[in-house]
Amino acid sequence: MGLSLTVNGDHLTSTADPITPLVDVLREEFYLTGAKPVCREGFCGACMVLVNGNPTPSCLVPVALAQGHDICTVEGLAANGGLNPMQAALEACDAVQCGMCFPGMVVSLTHLLATRPEATRDDIRAALTGNICRCTGYERIIEAALLALATK
Amino acid sequence: MSDTSATMNFRRRDAADKLSGRTRYTIDRYLPGMLHAAVLRASVPSGRIASLDTSRAARMPGVRAIVTAADAPGMIGIGIADHPLFARDVIRYDGEPIAAIAADTLMQAHAALAAIDVDIEPLPMVLTMADALSPDAPLVHPDWRNYEVLLEGGARGGNVAWEATVVRGDVDAAFARPDVEIIDSSFRVGRQNHVAFEPRAVVAIYEDGRFHIETSTQVPWTIRNATARLLGVPASQVRVTVPPVGGGFGLKFDLAIEPFAALLARASGRPVRLVNSREEEMLTCLFRENAEIGIRSAVTRDGEIVGREAVVLMDCGAYGGEQIFLTTMTAHTLGGNYSLGAVRLVSRAVYTNTAPNGAFRACNGVYNTFALERHTDEIAARIGMDPLAFRRRNVLGDSDLGATGQAFEGDVLGPMLDRMDTMRDAAATPPERADGRLYGRATVVGAWFVFVGPSAATVNMNADGTATLVTSGVEIGSGSMMQALPQIVAGALGLNPDDVIVRAADTDAAGYDVGVGGGRTTVSLGSASLSAAQEVRTKLLKVASEMIEAAPEDLVMRSGRIEIAGAPGSGRAISEVATRAQARFGPVSGTGAFTGSGVPAMPGCVAGHFIDAIDIPVFAVHDCEVAVDEETGHVEVLNYRVVQDVGRALNPRAVHGQIQGGVVQGLGYALHEEVTIGSNGRVCQNGFETYRVPLALDVVPVEINLYEGAPSIGPLGTKGAGEVPILNVAAAVACAVANAIGKPTRELPLTPPRVLELLLDQGPTLSLPHIADAWTDNLVRPHGASGSN
Repeated sequence: MGLSLTVNGDHLTSTADPITPLVDVLREEFYLTGAKPVCREGFCGACMVLVNGNPTPSCLVPVALAQGHDICTVEGLAANGGLNPMQAALEACDAVQCGMCFPGMVVSLTHLLATRPEATRDDIRAALTGNICRCTGYERIIEAALLALATK
Repeated sequence: MSDTSATMNFRRRDAADKLSGRTRYTIDRYLPGMLHAAVLRASVPSGRIASLDTSRAARMPGVRAIVTAADAPGMIGIGIADHPLFARDVIRYDGEPIAAIAADTLMQAHAALAAIDVDIEPLPMVLTMADALSPDAPLVHPDWRNYEVLLEGGARGGNVAWEATVVRGDVDAAFARPDVEIIDSSFRVGRQNHVAFEPRAVVAIYEDGRFHIETSTQVPWTIRNATARLLGVPASQVRVTVPPVGGGFGLKFDLAIEPFAALLARASGRPVRLVNSREEEMLTCLFRENAEIGIRSAVTRDGEIVGREAVVLMDCGAYGGEQIFLTTMTAHTLGGNYSLGAVRLVSRAVYTNTAPNGAFRACNGVYNTFALERHTDEIAARIGMDPLAFRRRNVLGDSDLGATGQAFEGDVLGPMLDRMDTMRDAAATPPERADGRLYGRATVVGAWFVFVGPSAATVNMNADGTATLVTSGVEIGSGSMMQALPQIVAGALGLNPDDVIVRAADTDAAGYDVGVGGGRTTVSLGSASLSAAQEVRTKLLKVASEMIEAAPEDLVMRSGRIEIAGAPGSGRAISEVATRAQARFGPVSGTGAFTGSGVPAMPGCVAGHFIDAIDIPVFAVHDCEVAVDEETGHVEVLNYRVVQDVGRALNPRAVHGQIQGGVVQGLGYALHEEVTIGSNGRVCQNGFETYRVPLALDVVPVEINLYEGAPSIGPLGTKGAGEVPILNVAAAVACAVANAIGKPTRELPLTPPRVLELLLDQGPTLSLPHIADAWTDNLVRPHGASGSN
């Protein structure tokens, strides 16, 4: 008896204990190691995934509750190993340093790009409250989001 | 010797994978048959291990190996070997490792930890430096005299792990002059946690009689050598490889949890994964140390600093570690900014029963710069001189002496202050401010250095026209390995940097290296890489000269070709020349090595120092404006400007990224990243809820000006650019806040409660009675006397 999950369009079965955090199932059973368990308290956003299109910290979701929902991880954001427009803008702006926060950062910003095309600089800053970056000082990330919005 | 400029905004090659979640950091490595490990840590700050019995734990389900102090006979340290891997008989800090277990699952490992029977009898403790320095304090290391000394010259005694002194000139005479004002200031700062997003993590394998350690580190060779020392095996039996590292900031400049995994891998015969939990990272992180500082200066009415003395107390926690080395830095961070008549400085690393501290970006520099710049403002106020004019009068210029008697080369800080004036003047006048907040601004200077030391590099020229660069360098996020190094090699060989393959660190493949930190990557690894590339260049030009029938000195390497100078399109593709060379002489390669030249100090000036003078000084001028809410004590940073001495910026865009990131880390340190230690000896901030790092809403875009052209022995005139951006931030913010509220800021971080106390005059006066009034009374041994106390 396993748990049935839909991850990046694939139907997968997990044998984990139902209360296991989704992030651990993604990483250790499915080897989708993009999402990073950094704080495990829902503050840092490095494990952010889309659940039915909504950014959700996967450290706070027991895997059993993810059944029946569409889960999209950073690995599923772009087709054929490419970059989506948000990822491409972050690359173009040389925003990346250590990179640990970016899988979650990209998930949150991809959602912002899709749902708030009119977002201003201050909207972007506020939207990043749930995604912490220790390296970059955020400025390049904000620039990249503005670039992606402008070229959309 | 290159025909192609190495300067460009070359894009980093690791970005796409990092943005797609494809990069495999150490925490992402899962091997077949891998076991999961966990460490039993002490939950008291001081105690004696009365009994330790692992037999019940060994019978728990899934357990494959248990190791304890009996498995790790060695001791490590910097200067003195005071640190065992596991607590042996004595617990010296809350969180100290007692045993480690590997099991089939992490849950089983944790269950087995709970089944270890350990009985600890509490012992008296010292949690603060004031306690540790009191006359009848219990000793953290009662056996300190018996430890192996790794570097002679440091004074030690009781809870003073190491003491370094600088004395130049007659300070007593300077203070006795009738024409001076004497200004006395005290400061105190707390710890800072790096919060590297990738925790310390390791996967270890024992194969063919050797340990293979894959780890998240900045210092592969330190891991190799220190692990071997702790385990009591030859260093040649340890191989260290390093995947991309998810943030370092100095945290990973020292050994961490690698030996536990190595021991468990050998004991179990299986790969072992060990990853610190976030709580372990928060509680045992090798913090930037808390420090207490007293500075006193004798200054004439017209602003000449005729005498200065300082006492800097640095909490090293339960073991000496990096702080012992860092006692050296006070000479340069307090004594490398301003021209001083006579000077004497003492830095003391003090043992306490708290988690050991370590290295953090511009270690020692950030708080000494804060203290020095606040002290400088207090001097200017006392003698009635404009603070900027006072700085301009006194910053070190060409041939001026630093504290240790080193003569500095070139006028750097003066022109940088001018440039900051230009930037500030060019800014738009701020709108009328009628929101009731208090506004303040400050401009501060800082001096730092590049931690040079040995590096090695090999460049292999491939017959297809690409080159492979092999070093022990690690990509920690700064981009040096992805941008600066391939740019340097490509510049020397006339290649596109994309055609330079960069080998990830492997101590079996590349020669010794001090590590990635201290601003040294581009300088030291870059220098070694440049030498290696130049050897390849010489060999290729020789072969090309026969093929093209032109003298080597008439040939240039550019755009992937070797051509006759002034005749674009002539000559041959580099791949053709490399292929010919390989067929005739064998594959082409070059090796390079680098180390610092060792600038001398004035004889007799220093005692207990690891370096007497600095090979590459680095300067920075920061300017910031703040608004302070009188009701809440909240500080908002309104704008921030940086002029940074970079020597030469090989990749200006990457340097800008380092400056923005470093300044923001400094804002956290200055304003809200606070570590406190409870009466139980445990760090109170155990996660992101209680330790407040900067968020996107907290920060401002930093306005940046790169100052190029100051002297440097770095390759192509470079200096390290990634470490120094954090140096002056606490100083700039604290001086600006003091200017805004009209009260002296003496402690960090400037949290709203602390600022409110200052505004309401309700804070306790900072008093440091454990810093003796007479400078010489602070020393365990008089400066210049020999031997260990």
